[in-house]
Amino acid sequence: MNKKYLLAGSTLVLSLALAACGTGGDTADSTVDTGTTGSDVASTSTDVAKEDVTLHIAALESAYGNEVWDRIAEAYEEVNDNVTIDLTLEKNLEQVVRPNMQAGEYPDLMLLAVAREEGLTETLIKEKGIEEITDVLDMNVFGEDVKVKDKMLPGFTDTLVTNPYGDNKTYLAPMFYSPTGLFYNKALFEEKGWEIPETWDQMWTLGDQAAEEGISLFTYPVAGYLDTLVNSLLYSSGGPDFYDKAMNYEEGIWVSEEATEVFDTLGKLGEYTHPTTVANANPNDYIKNQQLLLDNEALFMPNGTWVVGEMAEAPRADGFEWAMTPAPAIDGGDTYAYTFFEQMWIPSEAENIDAAKEFMTFVYSDKAAEIFAEAGAMQPIEGMVEKMSPENQVYYNIYDEGTLPALGGFASTKPVPGVSMKETLFFSMDSVVSGNTSVEQWQKDVEDVSGKLRDAKE
Amino acid sequence: MGALQKKTKDTKSVDRLYKIFIYVAMITLAISIIIPVAWVFIASIKQSSEFYGDPWAMPKGFYWKNFIDAFQEAKMGGYLLNSVLVTGMGITMLLALALPAAYVLARFEFPFRKTIRTFVRAGLFINISYIVVPIFLMLLEWDNGLRGMGGAGFFLNNRFILALVYATNALPFTIHLLSSYFETIPFDFEEAAYIDGASLFKTMTSVIIPMARPSIVTVILFNFLSFWNEYILALTLMPGTKKTLPVGLMNLMAAERAATNYGMMYAGMVIVMLPTLILYIIVQKKLTQGMTAGGIKG
Amino acid sequence: MKVDRTKQKNIFAAICLAPALILLAVFLLYPTIEVFRMSLYNWGGFSNNKEFVGLSNFKILWDDMKFIEAFQNSILLIVVVTLVTLVLSILFAALLTREKLKGANFFRIIFYIPNILSIVVIAGIFSAIYNPTNGLLNSVFGMLNLESLQRLWLGDQSIVIYSVAGALIWQAIGYYMVMYMSSMASIPESFYEAASLEGAGRITQFFSITLPLVWNNIRTTLTFFIISTINLSFLLIQTMTGGGPDGSTNVFLFYMYNQAYTNSVYGYGMAIGVVVFLFSFLLSAIVNAVTKRDVLQY
Repeated sequence: MNKKYLLAGSTLVLSLALAACGTGGDTADSTVDTGTTGSDVASTSTDVAKEDVTLHIAALESAYGNEVWDRIAEAYEEVNDNVTIDLTLEKNLEQVVRPNMQAGEYPDLMLLAVAREEGLTETLIKEKGIEEITDVLDMNVFGEDVKVKDKMLPGFTDTLVTNPYGDNKTYLAPMFYSPTGLFYNKALFEEKGWEIPETWDQMWTLGDQAAEEGISLFTYPVAGYLDTLVNSLLYSSGGPDFYDKAMNYEEGIWVSEEATEVFDTLGKLGEYTHPTTVANANPNDYIKNQQLLLDNEALFMPNGTWVVGEMAEAPRADGFEWAMTPAPAIDGGDTYAYTFFEQMWIPSEAENIDAAKEFMTFVYSDKAAEIFAEAGAMQPIEGMVEKMSPENQVYYNIYDEGTLPALGGFASTKPVPGVSMKETLFFSMDSVVSGNTSVEQWQKDVEDVSGKLRDAKE
Repeated sequence: MGALQKKTKDTKSVDRLYKIFIYVAMITLAISIIIPVAWVFIASIKQSSEFYGDPWAMPKGFYWKNFIDAFQEAKMGGYLLNSVLVTGMGITMLLALALPAAYVLARFEFPFRKTIRTFVRAGLFINISYIVVPIFLMLLEWDNGLRGMGGAGFFLNNRFILALVYATNALPFTIHLLSSYFETIPFDFEEAAYIDGASLFKTMTSVIIPMARPSIVTVILFNFLSFWNEYILALTLMPGTKKTLPVGLMNLMAAERAATNYGMMYAGMVIVMLPTLILYIIVQKKLTQGMTAGGIKG
Repeated sequence: MKVDRTKQKNIFAAICLAPALILLAVFLLYPTIEVFRMSLYNWGGFSNNKEFVGLSNFKILWDDMKFIEAFQNSILLIVVVTLVTLVLSILFAALLTREKLKGANFFRIIFYIPNILSIVVIAGIFSAIYNPTNGLLNSVFGMLNLESLQRLWLGDQSIVIYSVAGALIWQAIGYYMVMYMSSMASIPESFYEAASLEGAGRITQFFSITLPLVWNNIRTTLTFFIISTINLSFLLIQTMTGGGPDGSTNVFLFYMYNQAYTNSVYGYGMAIGVVVFLFSFLLSAIVNAVTKRDVLQY
C-alpha cells in the first residue's frame, strides 16, 4: 500500500522533473545556493543546463582502477550533451588537490572518503567547506523515474558520516559500499576441519589450536583497518544507542562496561596477533600483512572486499579461497558487520554546483552502477546484489544471514590541536600488541581524547 | 741485529693484520651500498607478482614492460623533461646569483657585511617543509592580483618560478660554500688585475670565478641532487599537470586499498635515480678537489 | 682617489648582492615571517575564518605529550646520527687519505652513492633490509647463526627509532667522508713525516695532527648534521614508517605536517615549525660555541 503511493507520487514528481530535465534541478538548487557564501556560485546557478559545462571531478584512484572513471565519464557525456567531464585521478589525491583548493580552484565533485590518512575530507567538514546535498536526495536519478533517496539502500544517508553535523542535513553522498569483516582462507579451514567461530570463546580456542600448527589467529594491514572491527564490536556490545553515544563523545562512555568488553576483546586479540604484524603495519609494508593470509600464516584479518582485487596478483597457498565472516558478537549482543562506504561530495566553493548535483544523481543510475559493478565497486542502491558476480555476492549477502549492518563514524568537532581519536583509538593497538601499552591505559586514553573532543563539539 | 729483524717482522705482521682489518671494514660498507642499489635495478625488471614474496629473490626474467608502462601510463617521460628543465634553470640561476654574492661577501669590506653574512647563514636553518605553504599562498595572491587586472595566472604552475624558488632556497648553503672558497684565494690576483686596469666586474668574471671552477662543480652536483630529488615544493607549487619526476614517482608508490604496480614503481625509481648516478660518475673526480679547494672551513 | 675606489667597491658589492638578497627576502624571509605570524592564529587551512589566539598554540604545545615524544625522537636521532656518522666518516676519511689502500678511489666513489639517492628509494631499500622474515638484516644474522640478534626492526618500539637512524647514517656517511677527505688531503705530508720521525704511531698522528687540523671543518658539518637530520628524518619517516608503530617514530616535522594538514590545525602546525626553527638555530649556536677551539693553521 505504502509503496504504491510512493510509486505514484514519485512518477508524478518525476514527470514534472523529466519535463524540465535540466532546468528542473536548478530551480530547486538555487534556494540552496543563496544560502551559501561561495562567491562564484550564484552567477552560474541560473541557466547552467543550457550552457556547456566542464565538470571537474576528482576521484581517488583505488583498487577499482582508473578505467571505470573513464567509462563513467564517457557514459555521462553521451547522455548529457552539454557536459564535458574533466577527471583527476590520483592515488595521492589529497596532495594533488589540496594546493589547488587552497588556490581557490576546487573540483566540482570529489570522490574521497573520510578516515583516510590525510584527512582532507574531515578538514573540509570541520571547515564547513562542503555543500549541502539534501536536495539531491529528492531529485530523480538521472534518466530514471525514481528519486535518489528511494533508490538508495536504507540507512546510508542518516549516518554521522553523511550528515556530519548531526542535523539531518546530508552533505556527503554515499558511494561504493563494502561490507567488512574478518577475511580468511576458506580452503584452510576445510583442510584443517576448523569451524568459523561464532563466539569469542570459540575464537580463542581456535587461536590456541592454530598456534599449535604455527599459525597466528589474527593480523591487520595497518592499525587504521581496525576501525571496521572496533565499530562492529561497539555495536554488538551496546547496540545502536550506545554506539551513537560513543560517536558523540558522551562522558564516561569509553570506560563503560560495554566499552570495556570491547577493549578486553581487542586486547586479547592482540595476544593472538602474528608477531610480524606490527613491524609491517606501515604505509610501505602493510601489503606483507595481507600476504600473511595468502600464505596461511594468519587466520583472520579485518578488511573490506577491495582486498581481493588489491591482492589479485599476489602468490598464494594452494587452493586459497577468499571468504569473510562477521566478527563474533560480544556476549549476548547481536552480530554486526560494519559497512564501509566511500563518499562523494561537492565543495562549497565549486564552480558548477548544479551540474555536479545533476551528475551526482547519475552515479546512482542503473547504467552507472553497472559500470561501477564491473570494476567491483558496488553502489549502495536497491538491486545491486543481483548484479554482482557470484564471488562478490557471497560478501554482500552477509547481511542476509542474521548479521546486522553497522554504519557511521565519529561526529565532527572543531579541530583540537594534538588530539586525534583515530590515532588513539586504533593506532594504540600497535602498542598493545607489542606490549608497550596496557588495555587499561588504552581505554583511559580514549576516554581522555573523547573528553577533549566533546568540549570541541559545536 | 737478529732482534731488530724480528721486531720489523712483528710490526709487519701487525701491519698486515691492521690492513686486513681496514679492508674488511671498507669492503663491508661498500657491499652494504652496492647490494641495495643493485637490488633496486634488479627489482625494476621484475613482474609485479614477484614482489609479494622474498624481496631478494632473483627476477624470473627481464620484464622491460615496467619501463614502457612508466613512460607511457605514468607519463614519466614528460615528467623527466620537466625535471630536466627545472633543475637546469634552477642551477643556472643559482650560480648567477650566488657567485657574485659569495665573492663580495668573502673579499670586500663594506657596511653591513657582517649583518648580511649572519642573515644568509640564518637562512640555512629555514626548512622548505614549513615555508612551502606561505610561499604557495604568496604566489597565489600574486596570481589572483594578475587575474584581477585581467591577466592570467603566472606564478603557479610555472617551471621558471619553481626553479627560482629552488635557487633561492639553495642560496644560503651555496653562498656559504663558495665564499669559504673565495676566502682562500690570495689577494695578489685582484691586485694584479687592478694594476692591469681591469674593472671590478671583469676581475670577478675573468680572474676569480674561473679559479673557483672545482668549487662550482661541487655546487652544481650538490644542488643538482637536491633539486632533482625535491618533491614537496614541486608538488605544491605545480598543482597542474607539469609534474616533476619525484612527484610522479609519489603517485606510483604503494597506497592503501589500491593495487600497486610494484614493477612500475621500481622502474620509476630507476628513472629518477639514473641521471643522478650518471652525473655523479662524470663529476666525482672533481668532487673531492672542489671540496679540497673550498675547504668548507666555516 | 682612495675614497672613490671605496665608493666604487661599495656600489659593486651592492649590485652583486642585491639580486640574491631580494630573492632571499621574498622567498625565504617573508615566508618565515608568515610562519611566525600564522603560529599565532587558529586556522584550518582553507576557509577565511582565521582567529587570532596569541601564544595559545605554544601553550598547548607545552602540554602536548605527542609533541614532547616527537621532540625526544628528533633529539635522539640528531645525537645518534651525528655521533655515529661523524666517527665513521672521519675514520674512513683518515684511512682513505693516510693509508695507501688499493682501490681507495673505488671506495670513495661507492661510499658517496647513498647520498645521491632520492629518499623514496632509500625508504624502499631499507624496507627490504628490515623486513622481519626475509629482510637482508635478519637473513644475514640467520646465516651466521646469530638468530638471537634478529629483531623486528620496524616493529619493536624500543629499537625502531634506531632502525631509522641506521638508514640515515647509511645515507650520510659518504657525504661527510668526502668532506673530511678533502680537508685532510690538504694537510702537508711533511707534518706526518716529522711526527713519524719522532716515533708517533698512527693513532697519535691522527689525534695530534689530523683531528686538530680538520677541526674547523668538523664544526661546520655539525650544523649540517642538525639541519639535515631534522629534514631527512621527516622525509624518510613519511615514506617508511608513517610515524609508527603507534607514533614511536614521530619526529618534529612529521608531527608538524600531521597537525597542520591531517588534524586541520594549520596554526598549531606552524607553531611547531617555529619551535623547530628556533631549536635548530639555538642548538647549532650552542654546538658552535662549545666546540670552539683555537684554530690551528698550517
